[in-house]
Amino acid sequence: MTGYIEKIREIAARLLTDGTVEMVIGFRKGTVPMMNEPFFVKNPLEVATLVWDSNCGINLANYLTDRKEKIAVLAKGCDSRNIVTHIIENKIKREQLYIIGVPCKGMIDRQRIAGRVDGEILKVVEAEERVVVSGRGFEKTFDKADVLQANCRLCIHRNPVLYDELAAELVSEQQDVDRYVEERRIEAMDVQQRWAYFDELLASCIRCYACRNACPLCYCPTCFVDESRPQWVGKSIDPIDTRTFHFLRAYHCAGRCTDCGACERACPVGINMRVFTKKLEKDCLELYGWEAGMSLDQRPPLDTYKVDDPEIFIK
Amino acid sequence: MKFVKIDKKEWAAGLDRLSAAYRLFGPVKEGNFHEFKALDAQERPDMAYVNTRRSPKALIYPQSEKMFEFSLDQTRADHHILREAGKDYTARAVIGIRPCDADAFRLVQKNFDTPEYRDPYWVQAYEATTLVGLGCSSPCSTCFCTTAGSGPFHEAGLDLLLADEGSGYLVKVLSPKGEALVQAAGWSDATAAEAAERRLQDLRGEAEARIVSRVPTAKLKDQKTNHLFDAPFWQEVAFSCINCGTCTYVCPTCWCFDLQDEVSGKDGIRYRNWDSCMFPLFTHHGSGHNPRSQKTQRVRQRFMHKLKYFVDKYDNGIQCVGCGRCIRLCPVNIDIRRVCNLMNHFDATACAIPAA
Amino acid sequence: MAHMGVEPDRIQLSWVSSAESNKFVEVVKDVTASIKALGPNRNFVKTLAKVA
Repeated sequence: MTGYIEKIREIAARLLTDGTVEMVIGFRKGTVPMMNEPFFVKNPLEVATLVWDSNCGINLANYLTDRKEKIAVLAKGCDSRNIVTHIIENKIKREQLYIIGVPCKGMIDRQRIAGRVDGEILKVVEAEERVVVSGRGFEKTFDKADVLQANCRLCIHRNPVLYDELAAELVSEQQDVDRYVEERRIEAMDVQQRWAYFDELLASCIRCYACRNACPLCYCPTCFVDESRPQWVGKSIDPIDTRTFHFLRAYHCAGRCTDCGACERACPVGINMRVFTKKLEKDCLELYGWEAGMSLDQRPPLDTYKVDDPEIFIK
Repeated sequence: MKFVKIDKKEWAAGLDRLSAAYRLFGPVKEGNFHEFKALDAQERPDMAYVNTRRSPKALIYPQSEKMFEFSLDQTRADHHILREAGKDYTARAVIGIRPCDADAFRLVQKNFDTPEYRDPYWVQAYEATTLVGLGCSSPCSTCFCTTAGSGPFHEAGLDLLLADEGSGYLVKVLSPKGEALVQAAGWSDATAAEAAERRLQDLRGEAEARIVSRVPTAKLKDQKTNHLFDAPFWQEVAFSCINCGTCTYVCPTCWCFDLQDEVSGKDGIRYRNWDSCMFPLFTHHGSGHNPRSQKTQRVRQRFMHKLKYFVDKYDNGIQCVGCGRCIRLCPVNIDIRRVCNLMNHFDATACAIPAA
Repeated sequence: MAHMGVEPDRIQLSWVSSAESNKFVEVVKDVTASIKALGPNRNFVKTLAKVA
């Protein structure tokens, strides 16, 4: 993945020079290790600032909604499925987009790496399958597979499903991936254990809404948690209100979430809130055979009815 | 100024004596990070920590705080009366707070404790708290305290400054509250002031030499507000921002809040929550108009407030102590050091935007 | 909801038309009975916000 950047810059320069697009949305190098900043380029002479490595976990589809320009955007597998969802939901038109597809082998999880070293990480060097991390007085090498983001480890759609041009060769999809180990573990718990599990999960939530705002699907002009007349959910850090926020937000993403992991990546206090959305993803798949964002010809999940839709939960 | 030495073998016993007179708070490891927590009896603060993920402002200014209570229950004597919520302002001590975070309280005090207006909740909590500071001998690469008006061994805002010397702490007593605390702890091994002051200066110098991040602030005061406001770089700065509340919530100098009432049955409370200028509805008027409905306007507002409006209003430097939390925790890596550089060096008459 | 720790018998989904009065009565009786059997809900309850 480190070799992609030359091609990305070449494509970007070409698209801007010949006027196919007005802006290219990608990443520029961050100011701290293992971070990149979402960024746009309008001038073909500035494409050298674009970077691509295993720290590009933020979902760039988040920056597309309601834009009016002609845009080129870098899209991994998960991002491209969110773009499909955006187009189906009328948040952007297909004609406005030039999707630069980026086949992805997984993004690394900086919190996971930081937890495995003692001391501040000052430099990170990435090679194809390895990450070398160093700080004052230490250096440690990790196998990339060991330090991937949780969602990347389980990914079965690494290649973009919709694109105008690819920045690299398609990669092989992971086989025999069991995506729902944690969800089944929770399903096996009794009621009180489950309650306690989610209590503990959300204990440090500070209602910053980084998860909601990093999510490309959360584009409501006024989110339900921000309403006050009527007020659906309290705005304090009361545990019931906090739980309600996460649980309802997951519902709003049901059948739309592509498990891109931007929410967990954005969270400043390290909450693994994907357990909410993955349960709904599991239900959609097992009950309806539904996977979000796979094709422009799909109708939104709540818009589709088939006569043989399972109704076991309706009494 | 008085100096005391604490042998680390006396540390635990001193803390135990303190817990009889103060509610103790200190940095505690939680997973990969540290947070300030109330210390149970026998629980020790982790003095080897670097800094906490969230700032200690919540110890004085909780994120969600009850202010008033009321009840419509006619059987109560105080029904239909808005009464102040009971609080515990008995003495507290925060052990091991970093100088930048303590300095931040003084910046916030300029807003919450003025001749015209005093926030009784904040002021009472602040006055009940003794801040026992721990100098930073190994600052992070994202710390820029020395150019933000603070420093790894800065004394402003602290009641005591501890310097870790391996087998013990060298302590400078900075206030009557600090004096009262060392007395209560029984840490009474006084040491010669002159030699101790020189030692502290050496430690300060060594620590400050390790600071690698700097922000240029000298020209901020003279920049014309309107020029900065209309500068062309805001679009580029604001593009990646997702308008969450992370920076404002982890920042020790951010102070905005929102008041709310909540009721259940016949009882209710009026409380306040931290609010963030990053949220779209922050400036939503009752009329429906929102002067900062666009993301770029809100991002500009935050940096203008921190690095320009505060500078102009209080003539005391920027509203930032250089703790670096926003830089480390911003989900999209917006960096206040970069923005400060852009604002400080902005030249409205030049043709090009200066390089970041 | 069940996944999160609310007893499954507290919630029921049923299609009832306004013309199906018998079914409506049955459903209401069933749900009331199953909830009463579980006792008061202690988990997902909020009275006043738990704030400092």
